[in-house]
Amino acid sequence: MDLDPRQYENVAINDNDIHSIVLSYLIHNCYKESVESFITSTGAKQPADYLEDMDKRKRIFHFALEGNALKAIELTEQLAKDILENNKDLQFDLLSLHFVELVCSRKCTEALEFAQTKLGPFGKEPKYMEKLEDFMALLAYKEPEKSPMFHLLSLEYRQQVADSLNRAILAHLNLPRYTAMERLIQQATVVRQCLSQEAGKDGPPPFSLKDFLKS
Amino acid sequence: MGGVEDEEPALKRMKLSSKGLVGLSNGSSSKEPVGGLSSDFMARPLPSKGDEQVVGSKGVIKKEEFVRIIAKALYSLGYGKSGAHLEEESGIPLHSPGVNLFMQQILDGNWDDSVATLHKISLADESMVKSASFLILEQKFFELLNGEKVMEALKTLRTEIAPLCINSSRIRELSSCIVSLSPRLDIVRVRSRSKLIEELQKLLPPTVMIPEKRLEHLVEQALILQREACPFHNSLDKEMSLYSDHHCGKDQIPSSTLQILEAHDDEVWFVQFSHNGKYLASASNDRTAIIWEVGINGGLTVKHRLTGHQKPVSSVSWSPNDKELLTCGVEETIRRWDVSTGKCIQIYEKAGASLVSSTWFPCGKYILCGFSDKSICMWELDGKEVESWKGQKTLKISDLEITENGEKIVSICKANVVLLFNRETKDERFIEEHQTITSFSLSKDSKFLLVNLLNQEIHLWNIEGDPKLVGKYKGHKRSRYIIRSCFGGLKQTFIASGSEDSQVYIWHRSSGELIEALPGHSGSVNCVSWNPANPHMLASASDDRTIRIWGLNCLHNEYQNVHSNGVHRYCNGGT
Repeated sequence: MDLDPRQYENVAINDNDIHSIVLSYLIHNCYKESVESFITSTGAKQPADYLEDMDKRKRIFHFALEGNALKAIELTEQLAKDILENNKDLQFDLLSLHFVELVCSRKCTEALEFAQTKLGPFGKEPKYMEKLEDFMALLAYKEPEKSPMFHLLSLEYRQQVADSLNRAILAHLNLPRYTAMERLIQQATVVRQCLSQEAGKDGPPPFSLKDFLKS
Repeated sequence: MGGVEDEEPALKRMKLSSKGLVGLSNGSSSKEPVGGLSSDFMARPLPSKGDEQVVGSKGVIKKEEFVRIIAKALYSLGYGKSGAHLEEESGIPLHSPGVNLFMQQILDGNWDDSVATLHKISLADESMVKSASFLILEQKFFELLNGEKVMEALKTLRTEIAPLCINSSRIRELSSCIVSLSPRLDIVRVRSRSKLIEELQKLLPPTVMIPEKRLEHLVEQALILQREACPFHNSLDKEMSLYSDHHCGKDQIPSSTLQILEAHDDEVWFVQFSHNGKYLASASNDRTAIIWEVGINGGLTVKHRLTGHQKPVSSVSWSPNDKELLTCGVEETIRRWDVSTGKCIQIYEKAGASLVSSTWFPCGKYILCGFSDKSICMWELDGKEVESWKGQKTLKISDLEITENGEKIVSICKANVVLLFNRETKDERFIEEHQTITSFSLSKDSKFLLVNLLNQEIHLWNIEGDPKLVGKYKGHKRSRYIIRSCFGGLKQTFIASGSEDSQVYIWHRSSGELIEALPGHSGSVNCVSWNPANPHMLASASDDRTIRIWGLNCLHNEYQNVHSNGVHRYCNGGT
């Protein structure tokens, strides 16, 4: 039993709210030009102090996405010293990106040294141990792309790390870590889940974004 | 490369045999030069049909295999020279030249060559070659790490080990060793090269590398089979010899009266040895029970006479630690006695019902009693009742036992039915016979029950899970009285029983064969007990007022003396 679309008519939505949602998405992803033209087109209010930081954030994000972790780390530390200090997981992930770069460029000696000096110390804590072993295993293969750990070399992985970095920086700047859009979709999904759990087969089905967009 | 363990003799052995082979090749009529053709590297093929060389009368032992395992045994005993001589004299090398070379290369740390040699030893199984190569290269890897040659170790890992494409979790572990992540001692400990050879031996087929201790294993197999096939086995393992096939004759079974104990004034109805075999308790129609002590030389003497019962004593029960004894008067009371002083510590009775049977709980803290009103009661030692089961749980004349885990109570609940009652789950199982059951006896491991029937048969039941009949014993006589039987001998291999024809009967438990019918008593033999600590001592109680102690045949005097010493060891409760 799906929700009757006519029920939606009863809910009024403010245009300004919609603008905020779109803006938050654009800002989060550093689409500077889109932000400027959107503001011009809609006359929405310009959020304060965002431009300068957005540029920096964009650069950092792209370096991380490319796998140039050292540069990303350098710029992040310039932006705010304690972001990485307070976020060891993130620091580890970024360092591991650099390690992967070295392995992919077949610079084994450097990779080994880097691993021993920078990554090794993390190994004292058990929660990093397994991850560390995963990365170390890459050293054993002449063609790491064909090894069991090939996923560590993928774009998806770099994307994941870059995203985490982005969110950490946003948090530091007192901006929301998640876009309003993400949160809305997540909310709808969770609420629907609760409802169908409670009401059983009589309740509404789980939220599917794909189906929703089609309807 | 240094680091070879103290295997000097092994090195010398290997070299010696290779030299021996060279000499042989030169001298023999074979035209094949050493180390040239691939046939030298092959595992020695089995002799072809027309060339069969066998030893032994049955024609099943291949001479080549026989000589090779003897050579191997000589080497492992440390007789390297003899081993080498044997190889030379017989012309049968322990290992093919290829294998010898292989082992030498491993001991020398010549890894790359050894892997190459491995490939030349034609093994059918590709995966076996890979696994063996993996082991060898692992050794190389660890020795490099140990020698601080990290980059070379990494190179070995990348270019030699990983391409084998097996055991990726081990490869993972090896990678973490390079970065020396935490002191992973279990991985990093480098095994010795000779240990590596042992591991390879286990991996490779036995025709290529003969397993360690093969000859010893075969001989042990034969001895164990002999022991198992020995029907009257009632002697210790260390008496087995390689010089002749082991078999115990009937001379290992107590069949001679060693002692006649005359201390009761009336029929003796019950005897039982204590758990440690140091004492014997007897119960009689004369209203007393006697505790006998088993002396150092196997002779029994009266330790205490327990008086106090007003009725004949029907049974006794030893406490699990043998420090106390329960005696049961016929439809009267139960008394608990201290074995060392002979004093009565406690009298158990219940108003309204008289006691007919008793037994100890395995923990020694409680006793279980059967009553004339057919109920069973569980008491703490001080007489406080803990639990009571009413209804038809037992009969006026019934034995009472508990399994060694304290879970199941065994008693005769109807004329032809034995009840197995689980105290905790209240589960009830029954053994139903077609004849009236007169008595029963529980085996030491509580897995079997020996049941005496009215019709002169004794039945053996397996009582684990659902009861199953597994054996029957006949031959003795029983018409009017309660006759008891018991398990006995080393590992409870025998069944003994009393009989109304005044003889003691002994059967072989698994075959059911009657081994002995021992005359001597002049009255019905009511009860028998086999000493749990001495497989050569049996006691029997009879209506003729005596108790007889049976032992090994006196004819073998020397044997007797040796065994007296053996007996005294048992008596002192030693292991």
